[in-house]
Amino acid sequence: MPPILIQFFGSLAAILFIAWLVLRMGLGNTPSLGSAQAVNTAAGEVEYGFTPAAIAVDRRGQAALARDGHGRIMVLRPHGGHIAGRVLTAGACADISGDRLTIDCGERRFGSVSLEFDGSRPWADAINRLSGIDRA
Amino acid sequence: MPDFSPTDYAVPGFVALVLIEMIWARFRRPEAYEPKDTLVSLGFGLGSTVAGVLFGGAAIAVFAGAYEFRLLTVGWEWWAWPLCFILDDLKYYWVHRAGHRVRWMWASHVNHHSSQHYNLSTALRQSWTGAFTFGLLFALPLVLLGFHPVMIAVCGGFNLIYQFWIHTEAIERMPRWFEAVMNTPSHHRVHHATNPRYLDRNYAGVFIVWDKMFGTFEEETQEEERIRYGIVKQLGSFNLLWAVFHEWISMAQDIWHSPWRHKLSYLLRPPGWTHDGSRETSDQIRAQWIERTGQTKRHNTAPASTSDQFPIEEQASAH
Repeated sequence: MPPILIQFFGSLAAILFIAWLVLRMGLGNTPSLGSAQAVNTAAGEVEYGFTPAAIAVDRRGQAALARDGHGRIMVLRPHGGHIAGRVLTAGACADISGDRLTIDCGERRFGSVSLEFDGSRPWADAINRLSGIDRA
Repeated sequence: MPDFSPTDYAVPGFVALVLIEMIWARFRRPEAYEPKDTLVSLGFGLGSTVAGVLFGGAAIAVFAGAYEFRLLTVGWEWWAWPLCFILDDLKYYWVHRAGHRVRWMWASHVNHHSSQHYNLSTALRQSWTGAFTFGLLFALPLVLLGFHPVMIAVCGGFNLIYQFWIHTEAIERMPRWFEAVMNTPSHHRVHHATNPRYLDRNYAGVFIVWDKMFGTFEEETQEEERIRYGIVKQLGSFNLLWAVFHEWISMAQDIWHSPWRHKLSYLLRPPGWTHDGSRETSDQIRAQWIERTGQTKRHNTAPASTSDQFPIEEQASAH
């Protein structure tokens, strides 16, 4: 095997070992969106100036929705040790199954986000209206 | 003529320092590291070395060609090394500033800022696509002044090595005299922050004096505001290839979909610029922050609570 490939695969092995070590050492944390305070703070961090006027929080604190005074809707979820979010646009859609609201923000790499909370219908309708979807 | 890459020799030191910082994190700040984030950071580092092997030859050819047209010949005298190092750091300041202010350059440099964490592994998030920007041109004045391309490359290598250790939260502040002249963890935390007050500040590589000279210096004020790291629109994905190419793809889409008269602007204007005002540049975000912090002194805007009702009629009429 050429030395450059040995160097490459050796480095790759070292990388995987270090990442495993981070896991093994128990590093990292799981952020929660379980409180209004956490959602308000996170929303303002995802987009500067976004001040929630209404929020919906997943029962397990694993996701949240926030709507600001301009009617914009933001979806929030943990990303590793931090929170990531998106202000929903015309590509977004929402589905309800029982208590579970699943939102596709229209950005494949961000993925879909699921929340369980009471009163999800108005949120779903508002999200679907962004794309002109009528699921009534 | 020296012919070595200082960064190759520094790699074992990088690994050792990452391990030491992980031990520090284990006892002091477990949230400073995250397994997937670390894996992506190290993947960036490995990929950038591959990119260097694949595309480095083009840079050498450009420099060697330009050196034939040099105005002076500096040679290999001892004093040429510190002089070259200082001028190369000045060059770094400007190429780095362009990396944040020109979207074409940002498409490549955004890789380095893509983590929401700030630790020594973040330093290894080096771009894979630097060869496809015009960053190389910033070094041409040094070549034309007569500094040998190898000397410039060696100085650039030491510059990169210096910048490794400043990617940490384990060090709060260095001695005052050091903070005044040199780039430090505190100054560079500001550079990686997404807080409006910190956006596009502290471009320095080794000497922070360039930022002070050119008006882009911002002091870290941890006591006033917790720093948030990453990019304005956080990736929300640990997919390495997406992290590498996302801004190139986004820029290409913007150019494709925009009217002809705006296409070049999507390449050369700052990140966040749009012809329809649908996104914001860092200058606009900072202006909002300045305006807003003034407003909050006059108006108390209470945040929402979970008990807030969803006013559906208001929602419907808000669009």
